[in-house]
Amino acid sequence: MIIRDRLEISGMEEKYMICEDSPEGIFTAIYDAYALREGHEHIHIQVGEEDDRRLFAVYLHSSPDLGKTEKVVRTLRRRLGEEVYLTLCQAAASRYMDKGEAVYRTVVSGITEGNGRRTMENLRDPYVARCFALARRTANEVHHEIEFLRFRELEQGALYAKIGPENNVLPFVMPHFADRLSVENFMIHDVGRGLFGVHRAGQTWYLVSDTEGFPEESLRWSREEEKYQELFCLFCRTIGIEERENRALQRQMFPLRFREYTVEF
Amino acid sequence: MEARIAPQMPVMEKLKILAAAAKYDVSCSSSGSSRRNDGTGIGNTLAAGICHSFAADGRCISLLKILFTNECIYDCRYCINRCSNDVPRASFTPDEVCSLTMEFYRRNYIEGLFLSSGILYSPSYTMELICETLHKLRTVHRFQGYIHVKAIPGADPTLIQRAGYLADRMSVNLEMATAEGLKEMAPNKHRKNILQPMRQIQNGITANQNELALYRHAPHFCEAGQSTQMVIGALPESDYQIMSVAENLYDKFSLKRVYYSAFVNVNGDKALPAAASEPPLLREHRLYQADWLLRFYDFRVEELLTQDRPNFNLAIDPKTDWAVRHLENFPVEINRADYRTLLRVPGVGVKSARRIVAARRFGSLRFEDLKKMGVVLKRALYFITCSGRMMYPTRLEEDYIVRNLTYQNQMGRGEKLPFMTDGTVYRQMSLWDDGLLSG
Repeated sequence: MIIRDRLEISGMEEKYMICEDSPEGIFTAIYDAYALREGHEHIHIQVGEEDDRRLFAVYLHSSPDLGKTEKVVRTLRRRLGEEVYLTLCQAAASRYMDKGEAVYRTVVSGITEGNGRRTMENLRDPYVARCFALARRTANEVHHEIEFLRFRELEQGALYAKIGPENNVLPFVMPHFADRLSVENFMIHDVGRGLFGVHRAGQTWYLVSDTEGFPEESLRWSREEEKYQELFCLFCRTIGIEERENRALQRQMFPLRFREYTVEF
Repeated sequence: MEARIAPQMPVMEKLKILAAAAKYDVSCSSSGSSRRNDGTGIGNTLAAGICHSFAADGRCISLLKILFTNECIYDCRYCINRCSNDVPRASFTPDEVCSLTMEFYRRNYIEGLFLSSGILYSPSYTMELICETLHKLRTVHRFQGYIHVKAIPGADPTLIQRAGYLADRMSVNLEMATAEGLKEMAPNKHRKNILQPMRQIQNGITANQNELALYRHAPHFCEAGQSTQMVIGALPESDYQIMSVAENLYDKFSLKRVYYSAFVNVNGDKALPAAASEPPLLREHRLYQADWLLRFYDFRVEELLTQDRPNFNLAIDPKTDWAVRHLENFPVEINRADYRTLLRVPGVGVKSARRIVAARRFGSLRFEDLKKMGVVLKRALYFITCSGRMMYPTRLEEDYIVRNLTYQNQMGRGEKLPFMTDGTVYRQMSLWDDGLLSG
C-alpha cells in the first residue's frame, strides 16, 4: 500500500519509494513504481530507512506484498528469462543499499526499453553494471559458503552448520545442499540474520526466521564428531608441501572471515 | 597372498602416512561432471567443481587425496615411496576408505575421493583393490560425489574398464615429458605402458559418448574425462618440449587437463637438481598460463615457442610475450574486432571478451566500460583502441612496452603472481627473523 506523504505532487519532483530490505520489498516497490504510471525518470527506489531526506523530494512508503511480488516475479521471468531473473535476485540479496535503485533501473531497461533476455549484457548502462557487480558479489559469496561451510553432527545424527555471510546468501545455498544431502536432516544457521535453512530427509527445504535467540549451547555433538574433525585437520596439515609453503596465497584463496566457522583453522 | 601390513594401525596414523604420500600428485580438481542426486544416497557433482579448503602451500583441497597403499615394488628416482626408501608404510582397507570419504563428504569437508596407489605385488592386484573400494563406495554406500582414480599402467585392461565406470575422472601420469627422461628417472616404467591405458580410456570415453547418444540412461564412463601430470625441472627439458607434448596429449588423446608439477627433490638425489634449491614455481606458473592459452585462447605451441627460442620469458606472461613480438596485429579496435582477435589481447580474458562482444551491440564502448567488464587495462592499454583512440599516448614498440610492464611488475603494481618474481615463495618478512636485529 502506498501512503502519500504530501498531497501536492508536481510532475518535476523526485519521488523516493521507500521499501523493506528484502527481495519481496524491492519487487513490491517496483510494482508500486510502475503503478504510479508517471514514467520512471523521476522515481527512485530506496531500501531501508529514509536517513537523509532531501528537500523538494516526495517520499512514498511501499510495504512488502506477496501478491504484488508474485506478479512482478512472473513478469520478470517471462519477459527477461530465468538467467536475468536470477541475477536480479542475487543483486536484491546484496548488503549494499543502492541495490534497490540498481535493480529497479535494470528492470526498466529490460522491460520498458525492451532489452529482454539481453538486459544484463548492456554493461555500458551504469545501473545494469552496478546490478551486475552486486549480483556477482553475492554469487561469489554463495560459492564461498558452498565451499567453506562445515557441518557438525548432532547426537541424533542430524547436521548443523553456522555461517556469517555479508550478503543474504542462504536462499541460494540451500538448494545445493538439499540436492546433495537429500537423505540427511540438516540445518544451516545464518548467525548475523537469525535465519535458518531447514531440510528434512527426502523433503523440500524451507527458511525460518528466529528472533528469540537460538540456544546454541544446548546442542550436543555426536560421539564421532570430534574424531572426524581431528582427522580432517590432520589431513589438511599433511597434504601441503613444505617446500611450497605460501601463506599469502592461502589467505587470498581462503579469506580470514570464513575461517571462524570452519574446523581446520 | 599374505598381507604385509600391520592391520592394527589406527586410521589416524594411516591417514597421516597415506595423505603425505599422495601430496605430490597435483591434480585436485573436481570439475567436468554434472550429476544430480537420485535420492538414494548422498552426493552430486557440479561441472565447475568445488574447492573446500586451501593448504598451507595455497593449493586447493577439493578431494580426499590419498594413496590406497604406499607399498611399492618400483624404484622411481623422484618418488618418496620408491621401494629403496626406508619410510613408514601403511595400507587402507576398502572399508576405511569408504567411511572416511562418506563422513568427510557429509560434513562438507571434501568434494569426493582421489584414490591413487603404490604398486602392491603387481599392477593388476593393486587395481583390483582400487576397484573393490570404488565398487563398495558406489553400491553399498550409494556415494554419488566425485571420484578421481589412477589407472595403474600395466594393469589388466578389464580392471581399468571397470574402474572407468565407477569413477568420474581417471588419470595416468606421464611423469616425464620425454621417453628418455622417463627411462632415466623411472627404470621400471615405460612410455608405451603409460600411453596404452591412456588410449584405452580415450576409446572408452568415445564409445561411451556414442552409447549415451543412443541410450540416455546408459552408465557413464569417466564423465569428467582424463588427465595426466608431468614433473618440471628434474631434467633439462625445454618448455618447448613440454608444451609440445601437452599439445599432443590434448589433440591426440583428448585429455581434459595436463598438470605440471615443479620438481621437489624429496629423495635428495645427487644427480638431480639440488635438494636445497627451491622448486621452479615461476616456470610452472608460466607453463600453466601457456596451457590455458592452448585450451581456451586458440593458441598453438609453435606461435609461443620455437626450437631457437625454446623457453618462456619468466619476466612477462606468455600472452603478452607473444603480443609484443607480433605488434603488426595491434592495436585492436575494441568496438570492431571479432571475438578471436579480442581473445589475443593481453589483459582480455574469455569472460571479458564475451562481455565486450555482447555489450557493444548497445553502443560503442569506452575505456571505463571495459574496466567494469573485467579487462585489465594496465596491460591491455598498449594494445587497444576505443573508437579509434588509445587510452594514453603510448608507443607501439616492443622495448617500450616491455620496459613499462616490467617496471610495473617491479613496483608491485603489475601482474599478480602467487609468489615473488624471483621464483621464491612469498613470505612475510619479520624483523625478528634470523638475526636482522641481533648484530
